[in-house]
Amino acid sequence: VAAKSWRIQRFAVFALLQINTEYLASERFNPGKSGKRSAEAVVRRVLTQAGSVRVAAKNDGEAQSNTTASEPVRASFRAGPGALETERERLVKKLESIGDLGAAEKAALRHLPMLVQELADAEDIVADGDRPSRCCLVLDGFVCRYKLLQDGKRQILSFHTPGDVPDLQSLHLKTMDHSIGALTPSRVGFIAHQVLRELIDRFPALGNLFWRDTLIDAAIFREWMVGLGRRNAHGRIAHLLCEMSLRLKAVGIAREHDFPLPLTQAELADALGLTLVHVNRVLRDLRLREVVTIESRTVSIQNWRRLVALAEFDSTYLHQDARRIT
Amino acid sequence: MTPTRRPVRIDTASPDQQGCLIFADGRLVAACVQLGVEHDPGLAGKWFLEHGFGRLSDCEQPVFDDLDAAERWIVAHLA
Repeated sequence: VAAKSWRIQRFAVFALLQINTEYLASERFNPGKSGKRSAEAVVRRVLTQAGSVRVAAKNDGEAQSNTTASEPVRASFRAGPGALETERERLVKKLESIGDLGAAEKAALRHLPMLVQELADAEDIVADGDRPSRCCLVLDGFVCRYKLLQDGKRQILSFHTPGDVPDLQSLHLKTMDHSIGALTPSRVGFIAHQVLRELIDRFPALGNLFWRDTLIDAAIFREWMVGLGRRNAHGRIAHLLCEMSLRLKAVGIAREHDFPLPLTQAELADALGLTLVHVNRVLRDLRLREVVTIESRTVSIQNWRRLVALAEFDSTYLHQDARRIT
Repeated sequence: MTPTRRPVRIDTASPDQQGCLIFADGRLVAACVQLGVEHDPGLAGKWFLEHGFGRLSDCEQPVFDDLDAAERWIVAHLA
C-alpha cells in the first residue's frame, strides 16, 4: 500500500510539474505592456509538497546597499536553512491575524502545492488583460498591483509583501483588470486555481478567511482612496508607513519600531500620487523632525504617536486581531 | 507668446528656495525652483515646476535641465 501510495504521489508530482511548466511556457509575462518589464524569470526551485521536490536553490546573499532613490534590492526577510518553510508559514500567520484557523486548515496551508519561482525586479507576475489559471503567494520580496496610463505614467494601486496573495480575485474574475509586478527581486509561489478550489471545498473555513481577506483588501483600497483624494503629502506618506508597519508585524517581519521597505522614492511617488521631489522633501522633513527615518531600505520609527497623528491613522480598516499577532 | 523671467526666493519648506517666476505675455504662468543637493543626484541642480497657473495648473510637474528648457516646455504647452 505504501509503495502504491508513493507511486501515486510521484505521478501527481510529475503531472503537476508538467502542467506548471507548460503553463509557464504558454502564459508568460507580457513585456509589451510595460516596456521595461522584459526580464525572463528563471525557475529556481520547484516545490510540490513541502520539502519533497526541490531544484536549484538560489543563494540569497545579495548585499543591501544604502538607501535612496533608485536601485531596488531584494527585500529578503529570509533567515537561512528552512527559510522556505518560514516563508510559507507567513500565509498561515497572515490568515491567523484576521480570523480563526484550525489545526487541519493550518496543515493544509503548509502543504499547499505550489510552483516556486524567482522574479527579477520590475518583472511582471501577471499583466492587465491576462486570464490566469493560478494565483500567486508572495514568499519573499515586495510586489505591487498597478495600472499604466497611455502616456506611460504608472499608478501603483497596492503594495504586497510575504504572506499576501495579491491576485486572489482571479479565482472569480477571469480577466485581469490591472497588472501585478515585482518591485524587488522576489520569490513567489504559484498556486493553481484548481488547487485553491479544492482547498476551499475541503475547508470551507479557509474559503471564509479568503473572503474576509478580500474584504480587507477592499478596505485598504478605500483608505488609499481617501489618502489620494484628501490627505496632504505628509499624511499620505505617514499613513502608508503606519499601514506597512502593522501589516508586516502580522506576518512576523516588522519589529516594534522598524521594518524593511526596499522601495524607491519613485515607487512611493507612483503609489501616493506625489512627485519624486515632494516625496524627497517630506521624507527629509520627517527625518529632521525625528518622526521617522528611512535608511538602508529600513524604516525606523522614532515617534509612532506623531506619525499616527500626521496620518490620522486608525487601524480599524486592517481588521487585525492583535491577540493573534505573535 | 514671449516668456519672461524674474528671479525670486520661494518657501518650499525645504532647502529648495532659489526660484524663478515665468510670465507669458506679462502674466504669471509658472513658478520654478532649482532642486538642491539633498535630492537624488539625477535631480540636483535641475529646475522643478513647483507650481503652474492657468492652463499649467493641473498638468504634470516636470523637472527641467535648465530654465531655457522650462521656457520651451511652457511655450509648447500654452501654444
